[in-house]
Amino acid sequence: MSLINMLSWWQWCVLGAVPPAIVLLYFLKLKRQPLEVPSTYLWLKSVEDLHVNSIWQRLRTSILLLLQLLLIAIAIVALMRPGWRGSKLTGDRFVFLVDTSASMSATDVKPTRLDEAKRRVEELIDQMVSGDVAMIVSFSDSARVEQLFTDNHRELHRRLEGIRPTNRGTMLGEALRVAAGLANPGRAFEISETQVAEGLPTTLYLFSDGKFPDVEGFSLGNLKPIFVPIGEPAEPNVGITAFSTRRREDNKEMLQAFARLENFGPEPVTAEVELFKDDALVDAGKVELKAGGAGGIVFELGDLHSGALKLLTHSGGVLSLDDEAWAAVDPPTRSKVLLVTPGNDALELALNTESAHELSEIEVAPPSILETKPYEQKASSGYYALVIYDQCSPKQLPQADTLFIGRMPAGTSWTADPKKPVPQIIDVETAHPLMQLIDLGNVKFVEGQAIKPPAGANVLIETDAGPLFAIAPRDGFEDAVLGAEIVGTNEQGEREANTDWPLRLSFPVFVLNALSYFGGSATSISAVNIQPGRSVSLRSVGSAETLDVRTPSGKTFSLTREKAETFNFSGTDELGIYQVEEPKQPPQRFAVNLFDSAESNIEPRPENTVRIGYVEVKGQAGWEGARRELWKALLLGALCVLGLEWYIYNRRVYV
Amino acid sequence: MSTASDTLLNPELLAQLERLELVSRKIFRGRLKGERRSTRKGQSVEFADFRNYVAGDDLRFIDWNTYARLDKLFLKMFFEEEDLHFYALIDASPSMNFGTPTKLRYAKQLAAALGFIGLIRSDRVRIETLGQPTNRPAPIFRGRQSVWRMQNYLNAIEPDESSSLTEGVKNFCIRNSGKGIVVLISDLMDKQGYSVALKYLLSQRMDVYVIQVLSAEELEPDIKGDLRLIDCEDDDVAEITASAPLLKRYQKTLAAFVETAREFCARRGMNYLLANNQVPVDQLVSGYLRKRGLVR
Repeated sequence: MSLINMLSWWQWCVLGAVPPAIVLLYFLKLKRQPLEVPSTYLWLKSVEDLHVNSIWQRLRTSILLLLQLLLIAIAIVALMRPGWRGSKLTGDRFVFLVDTSASMSATDVKPTRLDEAKRRVEELIDQMVSGDVAMIVSFSDSARVEQLFTDNHRELHRRLEGIRPTNRGTMLGEALRVAAGLANPGRAFEISETQVAEGLPTTLYLFSDGKFPDVEGFSLGNLKPIFVPIGEPAEPNVGITAFSTRRREDNKEMLQAFARLENFGPEPVTAEVELFKDDALVDAGKVELKAGGAGGIVFELGDLHSGALKLLTHSGGVLSLDDEAWAAVDPPTRSKVLLVTPGNDALELALNTESAHELSEIEVAPPSILETKPYEQKASSGYYALVIYDQCSPKQLPQADTLFIGRMPAGTSWTADPKKPVPQIIDVETAHPLMQLIDLGNVKFVEGQAIKPPAGANVLIETDAGPLFAIAPRDGFEDAVLGAEIVGTNEQGEREANTDWPLRLSFPVFVLNALSYFGGSATSISAVNIQPGRSVSLRSVGSAETLDVRTPSGKTFSLTREKAETFNFSGTDELGIYQVEEPKQPPQRFAVNLFDSAESNIEPRPENTVRIGYVEVKGQAGWEGARRELWKALLLGALCVLGLEWYIYNRRVYV
Repeated sequence: MSTASDTLLNPELLAQLERLELVSRKIFRGRLKGERRSTRKGQSVEFADFRNYVAGDDLRFIDWNTYARLDKLFLKMFFEEEDLHFYALIDASPSMNFGTPTKLRYAKQLAAALGFIGLIRSDRVRIETLGQPTNRPAPIFRGRQSVWRMQNYLNAIEPDESSSLTEGVKNFCIRNSGKGIVVLISDLMDKQGYSVALKYLLSQRMDVYVIQVLSAEELEPDIKGDLRLIDCEDDDVAEITASAPLLKRYQKTLAAFVETAREFCARRGMNYLLANNQVPVDQLVSGYLRKRGLVR
């Protein structure tokens, strides 16, 4: 049994004055009404009998007074909030960190782990006494201050109620920095200037299932952490941890879907999986999963060109977020490539192959186009995926990847030495996708210049004179520069070959590599898996200024073009297929999936295993439940006393 | 005047009372010939006995038939019809001035009713109050013609006298030495007690009726709260908190008081009757008193 003081000293003084006041009023009130009667003879005789046990009689006559005093006594006791059980809050400043990550949606604790965490926080808030302050922070892979330090219980309850589960992973570090920033002022992190003026000891309650890596290199300072693990051990859960589609190697028309499932439960499971295409069941299968094991399944999808695939398992266990996975299949898109050249038959021929046309839509234009408006517009709007500048260089680099042949990009940090005759190729960086399967041992250049690429560049062809071919990043694009012409112009102004490379097999392969690497056809957005909460870089198929993104739940976000040709979308909190709509273009799709083994593994972390910095965090696994309070029963009792008093007063039924 | 008398005895009640007569369990000698038998043998039509003739007897009462048969002189004796002395003694103390109707009025009505019965039977009716001055005895009423006088007299009685029960009865006994019926109408709420007073009456060898008149407020008090009860006669004060146990206790005390009085009277051959002022007088007279044998 313990008491919680709810009033300040002066309020107690006021309350303490009430009983004497009642007694005083009672005696003041006891002025008898005079009444003339024929004879007091019988009354005196009656009263004489009653006087024999007068103390009891006096008590009986003052029953109303006694009831009033009892009422006040009950009220006073109720205000002391007597109760028992329940862990008592220590300290007067609290930070409640509530984990909202995907694994907190598990239903092993009813209704969910997050609801259980919120319930426990509520219980602690209810225990806070006058003068205590608390802050609520929710965190998943990022932290969010739900409520700054306040002693307003109602506000704390309201903000706590507003905490919603997310589909994200768990990172504790940011939440700790937020909490520490407010508990230990003077640190780097600040929320607002009106915060705590001085560092005060603060108790940090961490409500989580512990699916976060230990936080290294963090000093708690005034924070005294208590880890409250939420969740039941050894609960079954099967999660889909990967789901993707790929064209068959032997037949590009045929599509395959791969799924990987993991069993995080203690028992072996035969997981039944169903595959839906645009909400119609197309296939199903079974995967045998050992306890703690993983398994895969492959679905043959035939010549599927586009659609939204959904994989569903009905043996998912207590966490439902990882029981579904999505994949988008988009028709392959051809990138737009511009070749600006005064004339280069070899290059044009290499770009005119069937394979090249499968990958890209190729335009050829003379250097004079560089001065025209349509070019400038397209170049600056990201219309082209790749612009090849052969023997020419634009005044301003386009919003696209570029390949310069025999010229340096103007206005950049690319520089070159004077031309030298017959540079000898020493080394080729074949590990780079551009140079894959390329052998230059039999290739000679009549003349070439050693280039000096900017910092961060990757030299792809090294000659005895210096780097001949290099690639360097530029604001989200890449510029590749070849320091030798393929076709040049001699002093007489006649065209002549500068190299025998176009005669070699490696040349069309190089051109295809360039189209494939810069064209972006291999990196279609639908092929990339995105985890919830991560931002996505979207590209416009045409040259639209705005894109609409429709989320799985049907919400639509309108995106405007950023500085580069990409559109950044960060509202990926929902799981499922997102559709990117662009005027006059077929829609693009991408899928957001959990695919996080750490979150799917719902086994809660045992207490006393959490480390923050070098501090082992005290755990509090045995939750003692809500404090049982008596004040409601007491107030009910007081109400009964009041009713009894009213009844006696009105009915004059004295006991 | 007639209005006042009407309020005491209404015509219906008078009609009802005319059929009644006062009954005494003892036969008393009256001063005038009345309508009732006396122990004295006298001249009436009702035969009583024979006795031997002695010289000087009135020859008119000799039974000549007997003389013819037995050759002896017998004197026929007849019951003498005499009048009855009826006294009504009303307690007119201030305590009688309570209740609706007041106990005093109720007592007056009762006395008037009984007096009326006496008057129409040619009885001697005298109505006195306890505070009646010794030197100023109340008038005696006799005959039907005195009904209105009697009522006027009754109406003139005011509740302002302050003589105790014992004193009043004692004075009454001194003034009225004759035998008869005496009806004491009082609430008996005298702090000195009623026993001495009743013994005085008893010593007169009168036929004593004690009618204790109590108001509804005394029989069933309806009071609440903390009260300071003031006695209207001696300003005595009783502080009480009206509560269920106290009211219960009062009822018990009252019942004991009434029972004591009843027993006291019964042992001494007196008739006791408790009258509630809410019971109509006609009902009391033709009902209760008839049963008790005061009237028939």
